Amino acid sequence: MNLIRALFARLQRRHLALDEAQRQRLKALPPPPCLDALLHQQRFVVLDLETTGLNLNRDIVISIGAVTIEDGAIDMAQQFECTLRRQVKVNEAVLIHGIAPSELAAGQPPAEALLSFMEFAADSVMLAFHAPFDQRMLARALKNELGYNLENPFLDVADLAPMLFPEVLTRRGSLDYWMNYFGIDIAQRHHASADALATAEIALILFNRAQRMGIERVEELAQRARYWQRARQAALGSI
Amino acid sequence: MSKNDGFAAVGKTAVMQNIQGTMHFLLRYAPFNQMELSHLAQMVEQCRLRFYAAGDPIVGPGDGTIEDVYIVKQGLVLGQRPTQSGDGLETTQEIAPGECFPVAAMVSERATRSHYIAAEDTFCLQLGRAAFVRTYNQSEAFRDFALRGVSSLVGQVHQQVQLQAAETLGAQYSLETRLNILASANPVTCRSGISLRAAVKLMHEHHVGSLVMVDDSDYPIGIFTLRDLRRVIADGSGDLQQPLDELMTPDPIHLPPTATAFDAALTMTRKQIAHICVVEMGRLVGVLSERDLFSLQRVDLVHLARTISAAPHIDSLVELREEIAHLIDNMLAHGANPEQLTHIITQLNDHTVARVIELMIEEHGDPGVPFTWLVFGSEGRREQALLTDQDNGMLFEAGSPEEAEQIRQRLLPLARRINEALDRCGFTLCNGNIMASNPELCLSRQEWLRRFMGIIQNPTRDNLMHSSIFFDLRSVWGPSEGCRQLSEALLQMIEGNSLFQHMMAANALRHPPPIGRFRDFIVARLGADKDTLDLKVEGLMPFVEGVRILALAHGISECNTLERLRQLGARGVLKPQAAAAYEEAYDFIQMTRMQLHQRQKRAGQPLSNRLDPDTLNQLDRRILRESFRQAQRLQTSLGVRYQL
Repeated sequence: MNLIRALFARLQRRHLALDEAQRQRLKALPPPPCLDALLHQQRFVVLDLETTGLNLNRDIVISIGAVTIEDGAIDMAQQFECTLRRQVKVNEAVLIHGIAPSELAAGQPPAEALLSFMEFAADSVMLAFHAPFDQRMLARALKNELGYNLENPFLDVADLAPMLFPEVLTRRGSLDYWMNYFGIDIAQRHHASADALATAEIALILFNRAQRMGIERVEELAQRARYWQRARQAALGSI
Repeated sequence: MSKNDGFAAVGKTAVMQNIQGTMHFLLRYAPFNQMELSHLAQMVEQCRLRFYAAGDPIVGPGDGTIEDVYIVKQGLVLGQRPTQSGDGLETTQEIAPGECFPVAAMVSERATRSHYIAAEDTFCLQLGRAAFVRTYNQSEAFRDFALRGVSSLVGQVHQQVQLQAAETLGAQYSLETRLNILASANPVTCRSGISLRAAVKLMHEHHVGSLVMVDDSDYPIGIFTLRDLRRVIADGSGDLQQPLDELMTPDPIHLPPTATAFDAALTMTRKQIAHICVVEMGRLVGVLSERDLFSLQRVDLVHLARTISAAPHIDSLVELREEIAHLIDNMLAHGANPEQLTHIITQLNDHTVARVIELMIEEHGDPGVPFTWLVFGSEGRREQALLTDQDNGMLFEAGSPEEAEQIRQRLLPLARRINEALDRCGFTLCNGNIMASNPELCLSRQEWLRRFMGIIQNPTRDNLMHSSIFFDLRSVWGPSEGCRQLSEALLQMIEGNSLFQHMMAANALRHPPPIGRFRDFIVARLGADKDTLDLKVEGLMPFVEGVRILALAHGISECNTLERLRQLGARGVLKPQAAAAYEEAYDFIQMTRMQLHQRQKRAGQPLSNRLDPDTLNQLDRRILRESFRQAQRLQTSLGVRYQL
């Protein structure tokens, strides 16, 4: 089944419905950033995707919310919020996100939405809670809709939090867990932009802690996260 | 239009989810809740959200001209300034969610004088100069706030209270309203020589309850009211041809048009009259009736005072207590300030005490010696709330110790009856036996003097405690001259005794206000009082005691705390701004306490001074904290003054 679906997707891609202007915009997207900047100088885009479900191969992105951390602060003027025009069945995920099918039908064409998002993100480092999920969902959408390879590096807030706050005795808490721990109060949970803001606020707390620990560059933070992940996996494997 | 519809009207096709979320947060606080939504939305869009861990500095004098203001979104920020001695920092401000800093420095384009430090993990919205200026130019509410700072918030609370009152009773009415607005503009008048018949005809034709007789220059020389008419008819003496001059009340009480409704209410109560002439430049310009004052308010202060003074027995006085509570409730709802309310409670209590004494003399028989009924403590300061117990004594004149003893024995049985009757009227018996029936408190003037001298020369703990009760004294019934002489002598003794002043000042610092360095309020941790603080002991007493020592040491005979503060400010003992700030803070705590009592009464709970600060709204919490901080400042300055 998967094979047939993959084949079908490839067939679709051949018929990418991009107009000339969109193709130019796609070409103009900057290359991915290198990670040697200081933490407070790097632009980060904190994103949260709402999807029809958790299946990385089958489910699709229905909305994107993102906020920007620049100069060590969340810039309220630089936010991204977009619902994609999709035809989906009313399933649980839709109910959780509270996005009605009618709203989806009124959304942006997916190619345009994704292109605008990549222009917004540009050469930023991406941050997300459970980043591998968002990274793979976004990469697949970009591949399918734009034929674009996502190369921006991702940092996972769900890893950074327990790494930088080892005193919190949780293995890998949920976003709700960390929001609760840091006392972050967001009115509209399970909305892409609100979740992105919550994640960004946690990220500010984490960067503050990282700098206190002497971690100054993005690269160091990414490196430490990789070691931490490996050590954790080793520890889990040895049990 | 609801706030949600408002967002749609902001003028943008879509306000971002997170901008809306932040606006919803800010809309809980002044001045943001008074700003137009489009202005607020634009302001939020220009903000940056920053995080500071506990202990992180945010901005300080070293950062030069202020380029950003900060709005606390979550957490707590401390504003600290160098101490006077210069060897450290003291916290002068606690900035909680919804509050801004450093606004004054931003407006005056200078560096801030305070160091702002995150007291706990804190998120702040940062608004840059350009955005600040744009918002300042666009929004009047924001501009007002920026220019007036926090002091305007206190005014808002009063406004809010009054607004709510106007809403509940549908009357735009406050006790501060001037008489030229309230009084009927074209009073019905007559000239000397008019007959009773003609006068009554005139009143009937104009549908009025009073007729003022004026002289050639329109100055009121008499007033005739329906009540007078009733009296004339009841006496059976009424001859309709009789000239009104013989039946009216001559020289009617008058007030200027600039006097307030409150002045009028007090005058009516004091003089037991129902009409007041309004006179400007020697001419009658209006008449104000009790009805004009209270019909809108359904608050019948005058009636109540009169009923108290005419109560036929103690039982009727007991019933009236209920009405007093109701009256206070109404007046509180009408935006009367705490000073006015405590005044009125005191006034009604004084009437009650006087009536109780009269009734007991009638019942028990006249002791045959003149005596003065003294009151102490909060009653002496005219600061009674509904929750009150007795603190009283008797003063009389005697030529010798033997004579004093004789008179005492004659007065004590009566004193006991009075104390008991007062208890039934709701003035509970004093635990510490500070009552006239205590032989040690039924004294001749010489004995009182000796007693006070003993306290001053020997300031033990007990004596200091007594001083805080006895030295706020006044007379409520009987000749007042003896009491005046007593307090004059008292002031002289204290002025000349610096050791006693020192001890009293130390005593005034016993109760530090319940605010912490890092938490907003310090509340009881355990027991039945868990999570509450004591508004009286921890909030009002620091002011009362601090101000008392300053007043007594500087020869101010006034006992009322606010009045003492005003005089201390006027004489330069305190800086006028400081005195005004203390006054405002004291007033606010008193108001909070009264509102608490009213709530308890309505809920049928026993009255208590313990408040859970979490039950207050954000604005009230913030002002209460600021008020406690003023108490702390007063205590600190006492400490410096008396080198404690």
